[in-house]
Amino acid sequence: MGKIQISASKAFALHFLCAAALAAGYCLARDVYALNLISDPAQTLRLLLVFEGPVVIGIYSWIRRDPDSCSYLKAVGRGLLGLPIGASINAFGAIVLGAPIGIKYLTKTIYWSFLMSLFTFVPASCVFGKSRMDWQRILAHSKPMEGVDYMISLPAHGAVIGAWLGAWPMPLDWERPWQEWPICVTYGSVAGYLVGMLASSVFILILRRQDPVKVD
Amino acid sequence: MIEAMPYMQSLLTNGKATAYHAKAAPPTVTMPRLKAMVSGAIGGFLDVALNFNTQAFLDDNLLDQFYRIGWKLVMLGDETWIKLFPKLFTRQDGVSSFYVKDTVGVDLNVSRHLDVELAAEDWDFLILHYLGLDHVGHIGGRQSILMAPKLKEMDEVIKMIHVRNILYQGNATSRTLLVVVSDHGMTDGGNHGGSSYEETDSLLLFIGLGSKGSNYSPYAHKAFQVDIAPTLALLFGVPIPKNNIGVMLPKMLDSLTDEQKLRALELNAWQLLRLLQAHLPGLLCGDLRCGGDGQSLQINGSTGRIKEKFCHLFSKATAAHNMWQLRQGSSFTSNTDDLRIAVESYYDFLRSASEWLSRRATDKPINLLLSGIAIMLISCFLLLILLFFLLREVYFTQTESCSQLKESRRSCHIDEIFVFIGIIIHVLSFTSSSMVEEEQYTWHFLTSTLHLLFLFSAIQLLFKRQASKRREEELTPHQSCISVASSIPMINNENYKISSVLVVLFCARVLRGWHQGGVNWVHLPDVSKLLVQAGSFIIKVLHIISLLIVMMPSLFALSIVRLKRGFVFLVSLSHFVSGFLVLLHIIENQSDNMVPINQSAASIAQIFYINIGSTVMLTVLASPWVVPIPCQETHMMTQTSLNCHSTNMRSDSLLLGFQDCTYMIGTTYVASWCLLQLLLQQPINAIPVLLIFLQLLACMIYFSIDGSHHKQCVEVASIYFLGMAGHFGLGNSNSLATIDVAGAFIGISSYSTVLSGILMFMITYASPMLSFLSMVMYISMKNTRYFSLPNKSKWSCMLEMKLAFPCLLPLVLNSVVLTAFTIILLLMRNHLFVWSVFSPKYLYICAATVCVYIGVFIIATTGFYTSIVLSFRTKRLKPEVHNFLFKFQ
Repeated sequence: MGKIQISASKAFALHFLCAAALAAGYCLARDVYALNLISDPAQTLRLLLVFEGPVVIGIYSWIRRDPDSCSYLKAVGRGLLGLPIGASINAFGAIVLGAPIGIKYLTKTIYWSFLMSLFTFVPASCVFGKSRMDWQRILAHSKPMEGVDYMISLPAHGAVIGAWLGAWPMPLDWERPWQEWPICVTYGSVAGYLVGMLASSVFILILRRQDPVKVD
Repeated sequence: MIEAMPYMQSLLTNGKATAYHAKAAPPTVTMPRLKAMVSGAIGGFLDVALNFNTQAFLDDNLLDQFYRIGWKLVMLGDETWIKLFPKLFTRQDGVSSFYVKDTVGVDLNVSRHLDVELAAEDWDFLILHYLGLDHVGHIGGRQSILMAPKLKEMDEVIKMIHVRNILYQGNATSRTLLVVVSDHGMTDGGNHGGSSYEETDSLLLFIGLGSKGSNYSPYAHKAFQVDIAPTLALLFGVPIPKNNIGVMLPKMLDSLTDEQKLRALELNAWQLLRLLQAHLPGLLCGDLRCGGDGQSLQINGSTGRIKEKFCHLFSKATAAHNMWQLRQGSSFTSNTDDLRIAVESYYDFLRSASEWLSRRATDKPINLLLSGIAIMLISCFLLLILLFFLLREVYFTQTESCSQLKESRRSCHIDEIFVFIGIIIHVLSFTSSSMVEEEQYTWHFLTSTLHLLFLFSAIQLLFKRQASKRREEELTPHQSCISVASSIPMINNENYKISSVLVVLFCARVLRGWHQGGVNWVHLPDVSKLLVQAGSFIIKVLHIISLLIVMMPSLFALSIVRLKRGFVFLVSLSHFVSGFLVLLHIIENQSDNMVPINQSAASIAQIFYINIGSTVMLTVLASPWVVPIPCQETHMMTQTSLNCHSTNMRSDSLLLGFQDCTYMIGTTYVASWCLLQLLLQQPINAIPVLLIFLQLLACMIYFSIDGSHHKQCVEVASIYFLGMAGHFGLGNSNSLATIDVAGAFIGISSYSTVLSGILMFMITYASPMLSFLSMVMYISMKNTRYFSLPNKSKWSCMLEMKLAFPCLLPLVLNSVVLTAFTIILLLMRNHLFVWSVFSPKYLYICAATVCVYIGVFIIATTGFYTSIVLSFRTKRLKPEVHNFLFKFQ
């Protein structure tokens, strides 16, 4: 199986691109369209989605696992296919944990879950495709992790844990507009995502340092 | 609803009456409110618990003062008064408030005396306590169809008294004051006890003082319920009760002369000052009149500033009063300016003192509290240490037993960490008042997350099994057919597991949406409100459907018991009868709430209680005796458990017997409890009961499927979590308003505090109790062959491995919560919401502790009894088997 080695600087650059896309989307929403996650969450989430989606799919398709047998476009297609699947998984999780169900919240939930899918499911689907072994490795930790695995799993875990923690202020009676679903959850997941990306860069750095020793 | 009381409205418009919105202090239940009205003091929260079991009231109060000046007191209505003041009344006719569904008789019983009493001239103080309005509210809420007629009836009573009063006034010098008060308000749903605006908003109406009724503004005035006591005391010239924190109502001063006004305010100010002195020793000593130019004891910190403030206000008021008196003495013109200033400065002092006093928690002996908390901490630590030792022991034996298991365990560590973190988060969330109010979200969130983790690990396991299968195929291609055959049931198992966790998650989500609990978002739509709107027919249909669905799994579960056929048939039959009785009761309750006491429904419920009680007792006592135990039979049973050796065959037979027996008992417990809850709970809660039942069943199936890879403590914690989440799913909250009082009278034909209390407890703690009862079922279904304790043959060892976690872990969890919350409550004792949020929660936690102890007691006694009987039987059996073998040889 084709082991892809990824250098720490490359991983960091790729993560930086993802974060920059998020920031660009947010700035554009704020400055050009005068949109705000608190006042109109659905539109802002949509804008973030438009910015983050191509970047994430593009980047992770580029570092796909099987570059010889699988063309770049195919990996992009896998990512696009993974987007709704991951969104439905995320939406399921959110609803089970108590996200409100109702017409009022429908669009927000959909956009949020698509964004979460970009953070969690799409990178994996771009890189792994339908390779069973890789999915097993990343889900069941059956084999030691590699550099790309860190790049996929740490930001994803970060986003999920961040979203989970972000839900805690919701029942407080501060009567702030950001306590609505899915605003603070989005903040939490983005924060967790960023932390996860940072952590994965650090991990890859450590991994790189250790690897030469092993080879020797 | 205003149109419903035309006479009162006319009185208000004509200025013959003054109305107030009197704010009642929580807990808004009758007995503490009555105490507040007559003594002017805000009582402790323990009064709620004693609400239905009232003791005589010994503090200084208005009625005692009236009695002391020789007044004759007459009381008609709620017998709480008679319990509070057992010897004061010359005539009395108590009405029990316990039949909440009776809205007619309770009031007739008061009104029938009215003609006689109004004609009689011997009384000085007449109390009429009408219960009907409260009962109407309990049954149908604020917008009940019975509400308007009931208000009309009350209006008639007011009219009757007032008309008589006017006539009476014509030929007598003395005047009569008619005061109409309500002890508390009512939520839209028909409950009270909490601290929402609807509950604390009570009526206060003075008729007959002849106010200067030009400015008509009904309900413009706001007051506090405690203001009633000083107002009445000052109006009638008796001493103000000494613990009073209320303030004379300004409007009521209008009927007095200027001098009387200031004198009344002065008296009230003195009384409050004495109370302040009791709370703040060193405030204004000695001469009340002249002290307090701020140079009295200088104490740093906030108390010093508070003292200074009160000193200042009081001296200002007395100075203004003196000034007025001086001017009054010198010039005989009425100086309204001075009067106004004096009155205003008195009120400044009175209001600030009253507010401070009402916020001030009652005095606590701090040493006693601290030592209590120390003992709690010690017990909590002891339990934790015990749990730690147990965990270590189990870990040891497990690591020895099989290494393959250990490997699977290491990867599933995340759920154990989560349980630990979840408990810490839950405890920390108690420090926030709104997290206490909205605790249902915390529990649902934690429980669902835990089960999502279960789902995740099940999926992980599925992948892992496939991976190992593939590896096997790669390694030994010629044997692939065998390995596939052996792995298929494994994968099937995983599918069962995943689907059962999905059932749990689905039920949890529906439960969360069923009642919009808590305090802040109660008004949002939920399933129960939709169903109430849809009508009682649909609710009844759902009730019957959930009864049928509860019956099916429990009868199925009973049918697969490996006990004597006849015995199982008997138990199943009696379950069937119980279910049928519940069905009858549901149908009988058709004419919902209109008939006060439905006699046939009550008798059905009684028969049900007897039937279910005897079934449970019979099952528990008899099943250890009828479980098949001989070694010959165990041969074929033990074939299922693969690692059975002939050496510990006897112990295995003991274990199997124990499992069969506890399975039987646990199933009976769970099924009976569900049926009981379907009878007792409100019809709207039938589906939630079913959902909790299904959740617990699914959870147990998940845990009992072969190769469950969670630690036993995680499993027990998950069942406990489900029980607590279900507690809120049934519409309970941390406000006392959600306790279902109406259900506590089902099947009780005569007044009994104890029985009703037990029923109320059963209704409120239905879900935690169900989780404990299902723990009995869980210990029977759990495959514990991984445990390989050294001397397995002893029944004490078997008990340890079976019962240790189900008994210890709930105790630990509860002890942690109880101790933590006690400490938080002590830290928060000056918090603004201490009475409205933290104290009710503390009552709930204490009741939950009782529930946990009962549950653990049931688990432990069932286990002990069963194992003792079984080991007794095996011992007795052994010689016989020997004989048999001997003959055979």
